[in-house]
Amino acid sequence: MTSEHHSHPTPGQYWKIAAFLAVITAIEVAMYYIDRELGLGFLNAGILITLSAVKFLTVVGWFMHVRFERPMISRFFTAGFVLACALYLVVLSALGVIVVRG
Amino acid sequence: MSDVAHDEVIETHHEEHESTGIENRKLGMWVFLSSEFLFFGALISNYLLYSNRGGFEGIYPAEIYDIPFTSVSSFVLLMSSLTMVLAHNALSRNDQNGTRTWLFATAALGSIFLGGQVFEFYEFITASDMTLSTNPAASAFYVLTGFHGTHVALGVIMLLSLWGISRRQSGLSEKQGLNLELVGLYWHFVDIIWIVIFTVVYLLSVPPA
Repeated sequence: MTSEHHSHPTPGQYWKIAAFLAVITAIEVAMYYIDRELGLGFLNAGILITLSAVKFLTVVGWFMHVRFERPMISRFFTAGFVLACALYLVVLSALGVIVVRG
Repeated sequence: MSDVAHDEVIETHHEEHESTGIENRKLGMWVFLSSEFLFFGALISNYLLYSNRGGFEGIYPAEIYDIPFTSVSSFVLLMSSLTMVLAHNALSRNDQNGTRTWLFATAALGSIFLGGQVFEFYEFITASDMTLSTNPAASAFYVLTGFHGTHVALGVIMLLSLWGISRRQSGLSEKQGLNLELVGLYWHFVDIIWIVIFTVVYLLSVPPA
Protein backbone atom coordinates (compact mmCIF):
# COMPACT_ATOMS: atom_id res chain seq x y z
CA MET A 1 0.00 0.00 0.00
CA THR A 2 2.61 2.51 1.05
CA SER A 3 6.36 2.76 1.23
CA GLU A 4 6.94 0.29 4.02
CA HIS A 5 10.41 -1.10 4.22
CA HIS A 6 10.20 -3.14 7.41
CA SER A 7 7.41 -5.15 8.97
CA HIS A 8 5.20 -2.87 11.03
CA PRO A 9 3.90 -3.77 14.49
CA THR A 10 0.80 -5.93 14.81
CA PRO A 11 -2.49 -4.55 16.24
CA GLY A 12 -1.69 -6.36 19.49
CA GLN A 13 1.63 -4.53 19.75
CA TYR A 14 -0.11 -1.21 19.08
CA TRP A 15 -2.47 -1.89 22.00
CA LYS A 16 0.51 -2.61 24.25
CA ILE A 17 2.19 0.64 23.18
CA ALA A 18 -1.05 2.54 23.92
CA ALA A 19 -1.21 0.91 27.38
CA PHE A 20 2.39 1.99 27.99
CA LEU A 21 1.48 5.58 26.99
CA ALA A 22 -1.57 5.52 29.27
CA VAL A 23 0.55 4.36 32.21
CA ILE A 24 3.05 7.18 31.62
CA THR A 25 0.19 9.70 31.49
CA ALA A 26 -1.09 8.36 34.81
CA ILE A 27 2.40 8.72 36.33
CA GLU A 28 2.58 12.31 35.02
CA VAL A 29 -0.70 13.21 36.70
CA ALA A 30 0.41 11.46 39.91
CA MET A 31 3.66 13.48 39.82
CA TYR A 32 1.61 16.68 39.61
CA TYR A 33 -0.16 15.85 42.89
CA ILE A 34 2.99 14.50 44.57
CA ASP A 35 4.73 17.78 43.76
CA ARG A 36 1.85 19.75 45.28
CA GLU A 37 2.27 17.80 48.52
CA LEU A 38 6.05 17.55 48.70
CA GLY A 39 7.22 20.54 46.64
CA LEU A 40 9.80 18.67 44.57
CA GLY A 41 10.54 21.71 42.38
CA PHE A 42 13.19 21.07 39.74
CA LEU A 43 13.11 17.31 40.35
CA ASN A 44 9.41 17.27 39.44
CA ALA A 45 10.09 19.36 36.33
CA GLY A 46 12.88 17.00 35.28
CA ILE A 47 10.74 13.91 35.77
CA LEU A 48 7.73 15.39 33.94
CA ILE A 49 9.82 16.57 30.99
CA THR A 50 11.50 13.15 30.76
CA LEU A 51 8.15 11.33 30.84
CA SER A 52 6.78 13.72 28.21
CA ALA A 53 9.83 13.08 26.01
CA VAL A 54 9.31 9.31 26.32
CA LYS A 55 5.67 9.67 25.22
CA PHE A 56 6.66 12.00 22.38
CA LEU A 57 9.33 9.64 21.06
CA THR A 58 7.08 6.59 21.43
CA VAL A 59 4.31 8.17 19.33
CA VAL A 60 6.79 9.43 16.71
CA GLY A 61 8.70 6.16 16.53
CA TRP A 62 5.85 3.64 16.61
CA PHE A 63 2.62 5.37 15.62
CA MET A 64 4.20 7.68 13.03
CA HIS A 65 6.41 4.77 11.92
CA VAL A 66 9.62 6.79 11.90
CA ARG A 67 11.45 3.69 13.16
CA PHE A 68 10.46 1.89 9.97
CA GLU A 69 10.89 4.71 7.46
CA ARG A 70 13.87 5.93 5.46
CA PRO A 71 16.41 7.95 7.50
CA MET A 72 15.65 11.07 5.43
CA ILE A 73 12.25 11.40 7.10
CA SER A 74 13.60 11.29 10.62
CA ARG A 75 16.30 13.79 9.61
CA PHE A 76 13.69 16.26 8.33
CA PHE A 77 11.56 15.83 11.42
CA THR A 78 14.47 16.01 13.86
CA ALA A 79 15.86 19.08 12.10
CA GLY A 80 12.56 20.95 12.49
CA PHE A 81 12.21 19.94 16.13
CA VAL A 82 15.81 20.74 17.11
CA LEU A 83 15.74 24.06 15.25
CA ALA A 84 12.51 25.08 16.98
CA CYS A 85 13.80 24.04 20.42
CA ALA A 86 17.12 25.82 19.93
CA LEU A 87 15.47 28.99 18.63
CA TYR A 88 12.95 29.28 21.44
CA LEU A 89 15.44 28.30 24.15
CA VAL A 90 17.58 31.22 23.01
CA VAL A 91 14.56 33.55 22.87
CA LEU A 92 13.29 32.50 26.32
CA SER A 93 16.79 32.79 27.78
CA ALA A 94 17.19 36.26 26.31
CA LEU A 95 13.84 37.30 27.80
CA GLY A 96 14.76 35.91 31.22
CA VAL A 97 12.16 33.13 31.29
CA ILE A 98 14.88 30.47 31.40
CA VAL A 99 17.84 31.43 33.56
CA VAL A 100 21.18 30.03 32.43
CA ARG A 101 23.79 30.07 35.20
CA GLY A 102 27.43 30.31 34.10
CA MET B 1 -1.52 14.31 -32.58
CA SER B 2 -4.11 11.55 -32.14
CA ASP B 3 -6.20 11.34 -28.96
CA VAL B 4 -4.38 8.19 -27.86
CA ALA B 5 -0.96 9.78 -28.33
CA HIS B 6 -2.17 12.92 -26.57
CA ASP B 7 -3.38 10.84 -23.60
CA GLU B 8 -0.02 9.06 -23.45
CA VAL B 9 1.77 12.41 -23.28
CA ILE B 10 -0.51 13.53 -20.44
CA GLU B 11 0.05 10.20 -18.68
CA THR B 12 3.80 10.65 -18.99
CA HIS B 13 3.62 14.14 -17.53
CA HIS B 14 1.61 12.86 -14.56
CA GLU B 15 4.21 10.27 -13.58
CA GLU B 16 5.99 11.26 -10.42
CA HIS B 17 9.77 11.08 -10.27
CA GLU B 18 10.84 10.44 -6.71
CA SER B 19 14.61 10.53 -6.50
CA THR B 20 14.33 10.29 -2.70
CA GLY B 21 12.41 7.00 -2.80
CA ILE B 22 9.62 8.61 -0.77
CA GLU B 23 6.29 9.68 -2.27
CA ASN B 24 6.40 13.43 -2.93
CA ARG B 25 3.16 14.13 -1.05
CA LYS B 26 4.37 12.16 1.92
CA LEU B 27 7.69 13.98 1.98
CA GLY B 28 5.77 17.25 1.68
CA MET B 29 3.67 16.31 4.71
CA TRP B 30 6.77 15.57 6.78
CA VAL B 31 8.32 18.91 5.80
CA PHE B 32 5.04 20.68 6.65
CA LEU B 33 4.86 18.97 10.06
CA SER B 34 8.50 19.81 10.70
CA SER B 35 7.76 23.48 10.02
CA GLU B 36 4.78 23.34 12.38
CA PHE B 37 7.19 22.89 15.28
CA LEU B 38 8.24 26.51 14.78
CA PHE B 39 4.61 27.65 14.79
CA PHE B 40 3.66 25.84 18.00
CA GLY B 41 7.05 26.62 19.52
CA ALA B 42 6.30 30.34 19.17
CA LEU B 43 2.90 29.97 20.86
CA ILE B 44 4.26 27.83 23.70
CA SER B 45 7.12 30.30 24.23
CA ASN B 46 4.60 33.14 24.29
CA TYR B 47 2.66 31.33 27.01
CA LEU B 48 5.82 30.64 29.05
CA LEU B 49 6.74 34.31 28.77
CA TYR B 50 3.52 35.51 30.39
CA SER B 51 2.18 32.57 32.40
CA ASN B 52 3.87 33.48 35.70
CA ARG B 53 4.86 37.07 35.08
CA GLY B 54 3.22 39.13 37.79
CA GLY B 55 1.77 42.62 37.52
CA PHE B 56 -1.27 41.91 35.39
CA GLU B 57 -4.82 42.23 36.62
CA GLY B 58 -7.30 39.36 36.52
CA ILE B 59 -7.04 35.64 37.04
CA TYR B 60 -4.19 33.56 35.61
CA PRO B 61 -4.85 30.30 33.73
CA ALA B 62 -2.70 28.23 36.13
CA GLU B 63 -4.96 29.26 39.02
CA ILE B 64 -8.03 27.61 37.52
CA TYR B 65 -6.80 24.54 35.63
CA ASP B 66 -8.91 21.45 36.21
CA ILE B 67 -6.12 18.84 36.02
CA PRO B 68 -8.34 15.72 36.41
CA PHE B 69 -10.56 16.92 33.56
CA THR B 70 -7.64 17.82 31.29
CA SER B 71 -5.95 14.50 32.12
CA VAL B 72 -9.00 12.63 30.81
CA SER B 73 -9.02 14.81 27.66
CA SER B 74 -5.32 14.06 27.15
CA PHE B 75 -5.96 10.36 27.57
CA VAL B 76 -8.77 10.52 24.98
CA LEU B 77 -6.51 12.24 22.44
CA LEU B 78 -3.70 9.78 23.15
CA MET B 79 -6.04 6.85 22.52
CA SER B 80 -7.18 8.46 19.26
CA SER B 81 -3.61 7.95 18.04
CA LEU B 82 -4.08 4.25 18.74
CA THR B 83 -7.33 4.07 16.75
CA MET B 84 -5.67 6.04 13.91
CA VAL B 85 -2.78 3.63 13.63
CA LEU B 86 -5.23 0.70 13.81
CA ALA B 87 -7.13 2.23 10.85
CA HIS B 88 -3.87 2.41 8.90
CA ASN B 89 -3.01 -1.14 9.88
CA ALA B 90 -6.46 -2.40 8.84
CA LEU B 91 -6.10 -0.77 5.42
CA SER B 92 -2.66 -2.34 4.91
CA ARG B 93 -4.44 -5.72 5.39
CA ASN B 94 -7.20 -4.55 3.00
CA ASP B 95 -9.72 -4.79 5.83
CA GLN B 96 -12.01 -2.02 4.58
CA ASN B 97 -14.66 -2.48 7.29
CA GLY B 98 -12.01 -2.32 9.99
CA THR B 99 -10.52 0.80 8.40
CA ARG B 100 -13.90 2.55 8.45
CA THR B 101 -14.56 1.54 12.05
CA TRP B 102 -11.21 2.81 13.33
CA LEU B 103 -11.43 5.99 11.24
CA PHE B 104 -14.81 6.75 12.76
CA ALA B 105 -13.53 5.93 16.26
CA THR B 106 -10.61 8.34 15.75
CA ALA B 107 -12.96 11.12 14.59
CA ALA B 108 -15.26 10.42 17.55
CA LEU B 109 -12.40 10.58 20.07
CA GLY B 110 -11.15 13.79 18.43
CA SER B 111 -14.64 15.25 18.72
CA ILE B 112 -14.80 14.29 22.41
CA PHE B 113 -11.48 16.06 22.96
CA LEU B 114 -12.84 19.15 21.17
CA GLY B 115 -16.02 19.04 23.23
CA GLY B 116 -13.88 18.96 26.35
CA GLN B 117 -11.93 21.97 25.17
CA VAL B 118 -15.10 23.93 24.43
CA PHE B 119 -16.42 23.02 27.91
CA GLU B 120 -13.11 24.09 29.49
CA PHE B 121 -13.19 27.45 27.69
CA TYR B 122 -16.84 27.94 28.65
CA GLU B 123 -16.09 27.23 32.31
CA PHE B 124 -13.09 29.57 32.34
CA ILE B 125 -15.11 32.38 30.77
CA THR B 126 -18.36 32.03 32.72
CA ALA B 127 -17.24 30.69 36.12
CA SER B 128 -13.82 32.33 36.42
CA ASP B 129 -14.32 35.39 34.21
CA MET B 130 -11.07 34.71 32.32
CA THR B 131 -11.52 35.91 28.75
CA LEU B 132 -9.14 36.39 25.85
CA SER B 133 -8.54 39.99 26.94
CA THR B 134 -8.24 39.48 30.71
CA ASN B 135 -4.44 39.61 30.66
CA PRO B 136 -1.53 38.50 28.41
CA ALA B 137 -1.31 35.10 30.17
CA ALA B 138 -4.97 34.37 29.44
CA SER B 139 -4.55 35.54 25.82
CA ALA B 140 -1.50 33.31 25.37
CA PHE B 141 -3.38 30.34 26.84
CA TYR B 142 -6.45 30.76 24.63
CA VAL B 143 -4.42 31.37 21.47
CA LEU B 144 -2.18 28.33 22.05
CA THR B 145 -4.88 25.83 23.03
CA GLY B 146 -7.37 27.31 20.56
CA PHE B 147 -4.86 27.00 17.74
CA HIS B 148 -4.23 23.39 18.69
CA GLY B 149 -7.99 22.79 18.87
CA THR B 150 -8.33 24.22 15.35
CA HIS B 151 -5.79 21.65 14.17
CA VAL B 152 -7.79 18.89 15.85
CA ALA B 153 -11.01 20.17 14.22
CA LEU B 154 -9.34 20.11 10.77
CA GLY B 155 -8.14 16.59 11.50
CA VAL B 156 -11.66 15.46 12.41
CA ILE B 157 -12.99 16.93 9.14
CA MET B 158 -10.31 15.08 7.14
CA LEU B 159 -11.02 11.82 9.01
CA LEU B 160 -14.75 12.08 8.42
CA SER B 161 -14.12 12.87 4.75
CA LEU B 162 -12.06 9.70 4.36
CA TRP B 163 -14.70 7.74 6.25
CA GLY B 164 -17.42 9.13 3.95
CA ILE B 165 -15.41 8.35 0.82
CA SER B 166 -14.77 4.82 2.06
CA ARG B 167 -18.48 4.29 2.77
CA ARG B 168 -19.55 5.66 -0.62
CA GLN B 169 -17.01 3.64 -2.60
CA SER B 170 -17.14 0.55 -0.37
CA GLY B 171 -13.48 0.98 0.47
CA LEU B 172 -10.40 3.09 -0.13
CA SER B 173 -8.23 2.61 -3.21
CA GLU B 174 -4.44 2.36 -3.07
CA LYS B 175 -4.12 6.05 -3.96
CA GLN B 176 -6.59 6.98 -1.24
CA GLY B 177 -4.57 4.78 1.12
CA LEU B 178 -1.78 7.34 0.88
CA ASN B 179 -4.31 10.01 1.85
CA LEU B 180 -5.12 7.99 4.94
CA GLU B 181 -1.43 7.72 5.78
CA LEU B 182 -1.00 11.51 5.39
CA VAL B 183 -4.03 12.26 7.57
CA GLY B 184 -2.63 9.78 10.08
CA LEU B 185 0.71 11.58 10.20
CA TYR B 186 -1.09 14.88 10.74
CA TRP B 187 -3.22 13.35 13.48
CA HIS B 188 -0.25 11.87 15.36
CA PHE B 189 1.52 15.22 15.09
CA VAL B 190 -1.45 16.96 16.71
CA ASP B 191 -1.20 14.35 19.46
CA ILE B 192 2.53 14.88 20.12
CA ILE B 193 1.99 18.65 20.27
CA TRP B 194 -0.66 18.05 22.93
CA ILE B 195 1.78 15.82 24.85
CA VAL B 196 4.07 18.86 25.10
CA ILE B 197 1.23 21.30 25.88
CA PHE B 198 -0.19 19.05 28.60
CA THR B 199 3.16 18.87 30.39
CA VAL B 200 4.45 22.40 29.87
CA VAL B 201 1.20 24.39 30.04
CA TYR B 202 -0.92 22.36 32.47
CA LEU B 203 1.34 20.26 34.72
CA LEU B 204 4.38 22.53 35.06
CA SER B 205 2.70 25.92 34.97
CA VAL B 206 2.51 27.90 38.22
CA PRO B 207 0.79 31.26 38.72
CA PRO B 208 2.87 34.22 39.92
CA ALA B 209 3.56 34.23 43.67
